[in-house]
Amino acid sequence: MKNRLETTLCGVKMKNPVIAASGTFGFGDAYAAYFDAARLGGIAGKGLTLNGSLGNKGVRVWETPAGMLNSIGLENPGVRHFAETECHRMRALGTAVICNLGGHSEADYIEGGRLLNDADMDILELNISCPNLKAGGMAFGMRAETAADITAKVKAVTHFPLFVKLTPNAGDIVCVARACEDAGADGLSLVNTFLGMAVDIQQRRAVFDNVYAGLSGPAIQPIALRMVHQVCKAVRVPVMGMGGICDWQSALAFLMAGASAVQVGAATFANPMAMCEIIEGLQRYCESEGLSNIGAIRGCL
Amino acid sequence: MAVTPTPTIRENTRIAHDICRMRVEGVPRGEPGQFFMLRAGAGMEPFLSRPISICDATAAETVFVYRTVGRGTERLSALRCGDALSVGLPLGNGFPLCAGEAVLIGGGLGVAPLLYLAKRLRQIGVYTCVYTGYNDETFLQAEYEEAAGELHAKNGGYITDMVDFSRPATYYACGPAPMLRAAARKAREAGARLYVSMESRMACGTGACLGCSIPTADGNRRVCKDGPVFDAAAVFFEDRV
Repeated sequence: MKNRLETTLCGVKMKNPVIAASGTFGFGDAYAAYFDAARLGGIAGKGLTLNGSLGNKGVRVWETPAGMLNSIGLENPGVRHFAETECHRMRALGTAVICNLGGHSEADYIEGGRLLNDADMDILELNISCPNLKAGGMAFGMRAETAADITAKVKAVTHFPLFVKLTPNAGDIVCVARACEDAGADGLSLVNTFLGMAVDIQQRRAVFDNVYAGLSGPAIQPIALRMVHQVCKAVRVPVMGMGGICDWQSALAFLMAGASAVQVGAATFANPMAMCEIIEGLQRYCESEGLSNIGAIRGCL
Repeated sequence: MAVTPTPTIRENTRIAHDICRMRVEGVPRGEPGQFFMLRAGAGMEPFLSRPISICDATAAETVFVYRTVGRGTERLSALRCGDALSVGLPLGNGFPLCAGEAVLIGGGLGVAPLLYLAKRLRQIGVYTCVYTGYNDETFLQAEYEEAAGELHAKNGGYITDMVDFSRPATYYACGPAPMLRAAARKAREAGARLYVSMESRMACGTGACLGCSIPTADGNRRVCKDGPVFDAAAVFFEDRV
């Protein structure tokens, strides 16, 4: 059976355009009992910070209608550990390696980006959209000026194709996207989680210690799709679309809206086989529609 | 590649006012202390699966005993024989088995996973002394009568007050966090080895999301992947004077 899903993203060849979203697949080994990660187009590893972090205290996950809130707070082993150890394990999985880099400050991002030049990886995904950090994170992605500034500074130090991961919480995500492209981003990833909240009505207090947390899952899918469509119309660089994708039909919708690849996150929690089913569904779709490659339908609307 | 099992429900009945027992066939056999991520039906609602420990298992059948506390477990309790259920694969690290003598301390729903442990220990010739603590209704007592070397039950109050921690035994506990903390303190004072099965909110159950991380003496550990069974001394390290 001919693979009709091969996708090239900034020169990085992938078996298919289905990528595990950062923070939902560890460093690629979490679902080894369920399926071989080599089936995936790529894996975006857990978001890193320069010196690592223990993450947030208190409740970290909370189910919502058609989704979930999380306030993990980037618990991670740090950039050096990734560059020395985890990247090699990820490489051995036989799929594209995307490194997600967060930060608390401009200096963190730049130093992190520089240190990652020693890592064996394919794409650097700059996370300026994590809503769960007290300092940094999403703050960089809320406005075009700060987003462009940090993009340019990390682009200046990294050897890898640079995708900037955008927050849907920005006032104007299209404006931020354009600014990142102008600042040298090789691609964009969107959207990260929406800022949400939950209340423990028995205890009469916010569920999360940080009060607000990041919403993901099918609940956000139509809004994420709209934003991906708007951004794809406005930029020339490739976009990795994400936000509530949970089956091949929703993945296809993001590709039709203009995304070059899709990332799948929370859906894997609900259905560990979700990404495999999406890959199989897209392949079947290409066969039944007579498409020699999935790229043929990209941005068809 | 592992094939995701398609389980068949053989029984799903209420055994106490908010406790249900589900017997399922066609599930890979897990180890005592492991758990499965259960979800009712084939859809995406409720969004997350529910971590449920193994109460008993043979090669043919797995038994889950769970409390109905919210949307997910209410939906599980409404399932009938033949309804769609997804359980995934057995997850987590179970109880390390010991030799000689074992003391098992279960509080509330914590008695459920210890039953499978008691049965396994008996099979390998370990003498088991079991303490079961309840707040109102008792359950699984008949099963424990059969599985345990000796059985002490208490309804109301603190089960840990009954336990003699000075026996030359390996101790195992599962139950509410305050009970585990009390057991950990008493075990430490007596110099006893205690394993505790921890509980935490989970999204993935496989170690991916880090939603269930807890601080331990060895740094953050994932209850789902690194646990749920831990050495009590590592989990309750902050209580050490």
